[in-house]
Amino acid sequence: MANPLADPVLLIFIAGLFASSYLLADGRKKEGLEGTNRMLDGSLAFAATGLLGSAWTWVIYNDMVKNPLGGEFCATEGIVQCGSVIGDPRYNNLFGLSWGSLGMAAFTVLLFVILCVRMDPLAKWSEQYTNYAWWLGLAGVPFLFILIGIEIFVVKHICPFCTIAHLALIGYLISVWMLRERREISAWY
Amino acid sequence: MARRRRQVEPKGKDEDVRMMAGLITAAVVSIVVGAAVFIAPPVDVGIEEGALAPDFVASAYDGSNWEEVRLSQLYDDRLVLVTFLDTDCPHCWDEAQELSEIYDAVGSDVLFITIAVELSITGHESSRAEVEAFRDKSQFGDNENNGDGCYSGRKNCAERPGAPHSWMYVDDLSNSIANEWKLPGTPFNMVLDSDGTVLWNQQQPENHPPGEDIKNAVLRLLQEGE
Repeated sequence: MANPLADPVLLIFIAGLFASSYLLADGRKKEGLEGTNRMLDGSLAFAATGLLGSAWTWVIYNDMVKNPLGGEFCATEGIVQCGSVIGDPRYNNLFGLSWGSLGMAAFTVLLFVILCVRMDPLAKWSEQYTNYAWWLGLAGVPFLFILIGIEIFVVKHICPFCTIAHLALIGYLISVWMLRERREISAWY
Repeated sequence: MARRRRQVEPKGKDEDVRMMAGLITAAVVSIVVGAAVFIAPPVDVGIEEGALAPDFVASAYDGSNWEEVRLSQLYDDRLVLVTFLDTDCPHCWDEAQELSEIYDAVGSDVLFITIAVELSITGHESSRAEVEAFRDKSQFGDNENNGDGCYSGRKNCAERPGAPHSWMYVDDLSNSIANEWKLPGTPFNMVLDSDGTVLWNQQQPENHPPGEDIKNAVLRLLQEGE
């Protein structure tokens, strides 16, 4: 693949991040429960984008394990590529588990927690679950720093689909932080 | 008297939606995982016969320099004989001769890769200099039992049996490859096909003709590949 930035799958994920951001921003402008639900839709969209982005890195991982010299789903040359990160046996796993599968597991939990809140934002437990979403999301941040550090300082390449998952986590955290703030100023409903 | 209106706090749904949220999440994740598996099925990576041998990146000594190599980039159209050994292990001392004999017989048809590990046994402390001396059969240590040299530090590496080896020796003195390959002990041999699939694992004799050793295994696999 010559130019990874022209990859249609990558463009779909980028669109997913923009759509999530739009939902979040739109929800902030609206008052009451309508705005809260819209913001929750944004959080859900970030979690879904992260889940799909992670799943795609898992696809690339499986492909590159079989074809180490060049898979068919992502470039292996250039600054922006997957070969040096997902294709490198030194950096593509944590204790034998691929980063993609770990990301899928993490985003599954984040998706579930925020989906619970979205399905019943007025439930007694919804505040508690919003806090869970915040703390569980924060738990992923150290791994995000490790991976970005490896990309920038060790392999000196940027893995585009890994970055999608990283941005989805950051977006999710921002959205949940805003939701918590909304509750604090009594603007939840 | 003015009546004060009390704001009623909105109430959530009567039913607990968390179970439904869990089911929806499970359904979404199942679809995503199913699609991913359909697009690129996970590969069985391991050391069992039929699995794809775990890839690694490590420094290898070719007789003059230590250079970084990646196993999967070494594959060509030949069989690959991977041997784990410890320069201080007495059985590996003898295995070196066996390897020399196999190389003499089939060296041009088989890619030889030796991975030097350091077993956690007193007297097995090794170094790159010792690995180089073992491979090259060069002077390293003496024949005193003073921990200096090969064979638990009891012998000069130049005296090991067999000819000097001409293939690469990979530095795994940290045992990271050994751990990933679940090394049961040394010496340990495996034969891979030209794309890295394990064809013969010393630990699976039930799959081999009775009493087959590594030399016969290589000869048989070469014959089968013809």
